[in-house]
Amino acid sequence: MFQGLAQSELRALGISGLPLVTIEHPLGGERSEGITRRARQAVDQLTSLLTTATGGTGHAELARTNLRPPAVQAGFTAPATNNPAATDLITVDDTPEAVLAAFCERQWCDGLPIVPPTEARVRAMLDGAPGERSLGVMPPLWRVATLEKLAVNAVMAGCEPAAFPLIVAAVEAMLEPSFNLYGVQATTHPVAPLLIVHGPIASELGVHSGSGCFGPGFRANATIGRAIRLILLNVGGAWPGRHDMATQGSPAKFSYCIAERVDASPWGALHEDNVVTVFGGEPPHNVNDHVSTTAGGILATVADTAVSLGSNVGWYFSQSQLLIVLGPEHAKTIAGDGLSRGDVQRFVFEHARLPLRTLKLGGMWGIHDWPHWMHAVTDDEALLPQVPSPEDVMVIVAGGPGKHSSVVPNCTFSRAVSRPIRPISP
Amino acid sequence: MSHIRVLSPVGVASSGAVSVPRLPPSLAGRTVGFIDNRKANFDLLADEIGAILSAEHGVKAVIRRRKANAATPAAPEILAGLAKDCDVVFAGSAD
Repeated sequence: MFQGLAQSELRALGISGLPLVTIEHPLGGERSEGITRRARQAVDQLTSLLTTATGGTGHAELARTNLRPPAVQAGFTAPATNNPAATDLITVDDTPEAVLAAFCERQWCDGLPIVPPTEARVRAMLDGAPGERSLGVMPPLWRVATLEKLAVNAVMAGCEPAAFPLIVAAVEAMLEPSFNLYGVQATTHPVAPLLIVHGPIASELGVHSGSGCFGPGFRANATIGRAIRLILLNVGGAWPGRHDMATQGSPAKFSYCIAERVDASPWGALHEDNVVTVFGGEPPHNVNDHVSTTAGGILATVADTAVSLGSNVGWYFSQSQLLIVLGPEHAKTIAGDGLSRGDVQRFVFEHARLPLRTLKLGGMWGIHDWPHWMHAVTDDEALLPQVPSPEDVMVIVAGGPGKHSSVVPNCTFSRAVSRPIRPISP
Repeated sequence: MSHIRVLSPVGVASSGAVSVPRLPPSLAGRTVGFIDNRKANFDLLADEIGAILSAEHGVKAVIRRRKANAATPAAPEILAGLAKDCDVVFAGSAD
């Protein structure tokens, strides 16, 4: 199933002649006879390749060939394109229907209507920023993320130019190696980058942090999050089913952007300054607790929501992070019992646990990646943590009235990254 | 009907060209490596392929190295070691 991605990536990197051996999908979950059959498939294909291989410069050089993707190089000027279509202007009938049809036909949008990215609109989005400046190359097709291409996608999404520095900062954050954007883009998991906007700029741009902040209804949230998705589709090349291999995808892949609700946070902001955090997360898992009147009760419900055999969190221990988005009413009750943000982190770390006997039932049991001390546990009743430390539980407040919060588990060895939002230098 | 000119949103292709050398005509006496992507059963698959290659193709040695995890690239030292010791390397992909 990943064959198409592999071939597209080879083309994108200009690699020719690398033999591919393909076997039946899936390999995981197969019993011994299925593995034996696939081994034979691989050997038969290899035998054929050995007898028919042509071209190349000799196998001894294979060892010296660097097949790694180009490193992300921020700040360099983009090379001349070898893909004329990438810079072409196209001409279409000037009707909303025709523009949408043209972009859908080319697989240039998410299926929803767009604002036509005319040169004038893109210039306005750039607001004097140099369009040729590159933030690096974006996986999985390793295309150059120039400011112009980001601006084209931001116009299409319906963003206002004032939001462009935020979008640029978010892309910079996603290109940090610790975010592992390649994994986020290509995995079968439904992960999407959640943007969390901190600081005064959130209200200046109209990024909503109150009732229904995850959507719908708020232009800044909708369009900034959508711009990020269009950039991931068009610049990174993560087209669903071909290069984004998410089994089912997720509504969060359309748009996923909120702000902290600082005015309702008993613990202040996670970041006081203008900062954007990108968090590679699942869609929000609801925490419904209309009954508890204590911190212990609410956080017990939060902790229970945070543990599941079906989550990546916990299985790949070193990468695991949890984002807790507390509704204001839950946050107030928790703080009313004297708990700090650190106390909430500690509580969730200590209580979001499953017994070993439950972990053995399914999920990723058998291919999990745990530290030695967890592998050494043999007591089936032992409660094992989901994340390495309390610091791997992020806590913010967002939302409006009501007794709901949410848990957002991360995925794909993607760690949260925060970047300052600054004016773009000319 | 009036027309409108719009810009393509597609990223600029990064330049570069790498030509991969051809496979050797025979694996007899060669060393074959595997980069284990840590997906379920890849270790068993690599072991079976290695056993067949040894029995039927005269492969001298089989080396299997595991990535740190499935979602990130193999460490440079793994690649360097396989490049030094192997004639042909299988890199496991997908699941």
